[in-house]
Amino acid sequence: MEIQIKNLAKTYGEKKVLDIESLNLEREKITGIIGPNGSGKSTLLNIIAGLDDKYDGQVLYNGELIDSDIRKKMTLVFQKAYLFKRTVYKNIAYPLEVRGVKEEKIKQKVLELLKILEIEDLKMKIGSKLSGGETQKVALARGLVFNPELLLLDEPTSNIDPEYIEHMEKAILKYNKENKGTVIIVTHNINQAKRLCDNIIKLERGRVIN
Amino acid sequence: MDYILDGFKQAINLIISFNKEIFDIVFLSLFVSTTATVLASMISIPLGISFGIKKFRGKRLFSRITYTMMSIPSVVVGLLVAITLSRRGPFGRLELLYTTKAMIIAQTFLVMPLSFGLSFGLSKSRGKEIQKVAITLGANKYQSIMLIIRELKVDILVNVATSFSRAISEVGAVMIVGGNIKYHTRVITTTISMMNSMGDYPMAIALGIILLLISFIVHSAIYSYSKED
Repeated sequence: MEIQIKNLAKTYGEKKVLDIESLNLEREKITGIIGPNGSGKSTLLNIIAGLDDKYDGQVLYNGELIDSDIRKKMTLVFQKAYLFKRTVYKNIAYPLEVRGVKEEKIKQKVLELLKILEIEDLKMKIGSKLSGGETQKVALARGLVFNPELLLLDEPTSNIDPEYIEHMEKAILKYNKENKGTVIIVTHNINQAKRLCDNIIKLERGRVIN
Repeated sequence: MDYILDGFKQAINLIISFNKEIFDIVFLSLFVSTTATVLASMISIPLGISFGIKKFRGKRLFSRITYTMMSIPSVVVGLLVAITLSRRGPFGRLELLYTTKAMIIAQTFLVMPLSFGLSFGLSKSRGKEIQKVAITLGANKYQSIMLIIRELKVDILVNVATSFSRAISEVGAVMIVGGNIKYHTRVITTTISMMNSMGDYPMAIALGIILLLISFIVHSAIYSYSKED
């Protein structure tokens, strides 16, 4: 899949927070979005994810406007992920449950993700009671479990241990290579962007600089 | 002072001797208020949650009206239901006035705005975040609402308990539509009110103690559940 952005403008009151004339986010690539605080990175991600529909311009997913069917093909992992008050297993299983996947297949996929992210020991723990790093890993596993076409990541590794970051980056790269998944990651960490991304876009005051 | 102490002593005797009249009244109260709370919750909680997470024009005004309706006086609800169910009213043919069903209807309408408002406020403040996550994971509208209900179940249970407390402790609505008929529509609050005017304190005190006990048991159960969660 490919994301095309045309004449995108987003304002909060008088303030223009996004002003992008044209931007293509390539399929099967990992694109990093970097920029200072308030540059519009997260707002852009929310618009692509279909969580914010109050903007001018067009955001196209394979040439189509984003609707509820398209939203099901992508996911967004937030900077401070919210895990449900149920076990880690049930948290990761949720996207498959809402898609009506059979129990046997759910089990197989969840166990696979638990292994990839090295969180098998957390399987029966309650999601809402985990540490920050554990929460982010589970949130990533939950996002990857249904093999989305597009994975959106909003600073998923900020303020977590380097060991956890390594596990998460491995999982992101594996998903991109093996599933041909497209990834858009917002990060503050330029080194992480260099490690992971095929393309890097810099945003400043809502505009694409590079 | 003696008559108060005597009243308490006789009240305790009435309770521990399982006085039939008292326990008939208590069971009827529990039946009416529990049924009304369940009915009101089934309608208002999903509605309140879906309105809370929905963006629509005039939501601020809607919130104010909703919160005002939460404190609607029970006598007003009782009056409106009585007018509707009276012989000349639109549902007069059903002959529901002065029956248990009329009391359940009145308490359901009394509790609905409270239950709706509490769920609406809860969903407005905390439901949106859960909805956002649900959407990004592929949930549809119905699945999002069900997820919010599950995630906020402890708070929702507190709402249900608050609604139940409002129902079981009100006197105006059930008095108007039930008529306080002995062995038929007489509940705890209407009996207390009547016994007070008759100067028969032991029974009124006994029922008051039971009413407090019911409230204590309901809220203790919810407190224990929320600790476990």
